[in-house]
Amino acid sequence: MRIVIAEDSTILRHGLVELLTLRGHEVAAAVKDAVALRAAVLEHEPDVSIVDVRMPPTHTDEGLRAAIALRGERPGRAILLFSQYVETKYAAQLLADRAGGVGYLLKDRVAEVSDFLDALRRVAGGETVLDPEVVSQLFSVTRRSDALSELTAREREVLGLMAEGRSNSAIAAALFLSAGSVEKYVTSIFGKLGLPPSDGDNRRVLAVLRYLGS
Amino acid sequence: MTRNPGALRGLLQPVPPRDTARETAWLVLAGPFSLVAWAGVLAGVVVGVALFPLIVGPAVLAAVLDGARALGAGHRRLAGALLGERVPAPRPVVLKPGLWRWLKMRIGDPVAWQAVAYLMVRLPWTLISLFLAGLPALYAGASISYLVLWFPLHGAAMPVFGIHSDAWAGTLVWAASGIAVLTALPRLVHALTTVDRGFVAGLLSQPLLSERVRDLEESRATAVEDAALRLRRIERDLHDGAQAQLVALAMRLGLAKEELGAEPVDVGQVRDLVTTAHANAKQALTELRDLARGIHPAALDAGLDVALSTLVARSGIEVRVEVDLPRRPPPSVETIVYFSAAELLTNAAKHTRSPVRLALTEDGGVLRLVVADTGTGGAAVVPGGGLAGLADRLRTVDGELSVTSPPGGPTTVTAAVPLSR
Repeated sequence: MRIVIAEDSTILRHGLVELLTLRGHEVAAAVKDAVALRAAVLEHEPDVSIVDVRMPPTHTDEGLRAAIALRGERPGRAILLFSQYVETKYAAQLLADRAGGVGYLLKDRVAEVSDFLDALRRVAGGETVLDPEVVSQLFSVTRRSDALSELTAREREVLGLMAEGRSNSAIAAALFLSAGSVEKYVTSIFGKLGLPPSDGDNRRVLAVLRYLGS
Repeated sequence: MTRNPGALRGLLQPVPPRDTARETAWLVLAGPFSLVAWAGVLAGVVVGVALFPLIVGPAVLAAVLDGARALGAGHRRLAGALLGERVPAPRPVVLKPGLWRWLKMRIGDPVAWQAVAYLMVRLPWTLISLFLAGLPALYAGASISYLVLWFPLHGAAMPVFGIHSDAWAGTLVWAASGIAVLTALPRLVHALTTVDRGFVAGLLSQPLLSERVRDLEESRATAVEDAALRLRRIERDLHDGAQAQLVALAMRLGLAKEELGAEPVDVGQVRDLVTTAHANAKQALTELRDLARGIHPAALDAGLDVALSTLVARSGIEVRVEVDLPRRPPPSVETIVYFSAAELLTNAAKHTRSPVRLALTEDGGVLRLVVADTGTGGAAVVPGGGLAGLADRLRTVDGELSVTSPPGGPTTVTAAVPLSR
């Protein structure tokens, strides 16, 4: 994959470049702030960009805003948002365009190199990947919309894994279920959330969005 | 600033002629000035209060009070110049937009009302003073001039004070009494103006309690902001420092772990990864230690003496330390003094290569930290600057910062913190 990195911490920027290069990916540009990110993305049109949320000058949500702007100009432009904390609100904003090809992961996830690269590949492939931390934060929120409250415990589990960007077969493996029963749960979730059957993969994003309460 | 504790003793001592000239000028000048101010302010207040139900009443009152404040300021400056009574200026009224609030702030201004009280008291006292000082002055003038006027008067009496002598030799006695009165006059003038000093200090300075309240409000706000700022800085330091190092460390160990599971294992690559990860771990430890020290220096538990010695050893400049404390200050004071010393040493290190003196003493219940260098000087407390920040933080423990730093140096910065008894 051709990748653009925007990360203000020199240590992490170098670390990511090292990791991706070792695993045979091409880092087109590694920049320090949102302005440089925009220029690099427009110049290189990478397969995916890894973007730190907090960058200069204010160190708040520069990365998030830059990601939303870049995806606004070209819907579906793949971006993996990378942060030391996860904010449910940021996840909801990022997913609001419903175009897919987004991820939101804790920086800690690079420790599991293969999982991290897998997530990156899925984002580049147009899927949606959310950090398990975001998912557990959502589980802790007691006030959910009515539609979600109708879900069974098992369906919630499946939806949580969908939010993490897992495919049906990955969900089946994680929950020790057959692919067929996962299929059944997913259909049931779509039905309870009132999502039309035609949308295919996009339905998964919509379900996650519903799940995020946005 | 405050009343001189030896004021009474001062009355019995000779008064320098320069002071007498100024004090006399104060008495003479104040006469007409007080009369006009008294009449104007009194009339204004009476009109303002009488018409209060009408809208013009409050407006007149507000304007008069504003004027009284200005007159008070004039008197205060004059007292500073002529009587040497330097009173800190009251804070200006904080005016908020809106006519009603403007009136409220003006009419409720305690400083202005105190100025009105001052002007009211001032006139009668001026008249009494002028009479008490003028009479002996007149007597001295008359009795001494009789020495000469005796001749044109052909030995007749002076028209005042019943001064009369049949023989010219007798005029010498009158003159002597005049000189005696004249020598006592400076002390009299000094005594009279001492009462004026009391009026000025008592009525034309910032009302004490409200100043204290405002001080406390401000220093409390500083303390809260400072704490929030400190927490934010700690979070940033963690985020940019140790946390980033640990992420990089975990990433490299993750890579190494996966590489070890590969077939065949690239030992060189694994060694490189582990070496870098090792460096990340050591760097994270260093950063955590520095951060912990920035939150609370462990050496401070052993007292300021030990903590300051450690600080100085790390400062990278030559510092002569003198710590002489009869007892341990409270922890809050120790912490603030420690961080003040750290900041002042950092400042000094920037501006000088020569040895710096750092002294910490307790005297009369006041802890005094002095950092002196022979650098280029020109240090000043400017709003938003490092020294101003330090002064703000010191105020949270009622401390004060004073800086003497003429261009070319030397620079002496003193932080004084009162210790509760």
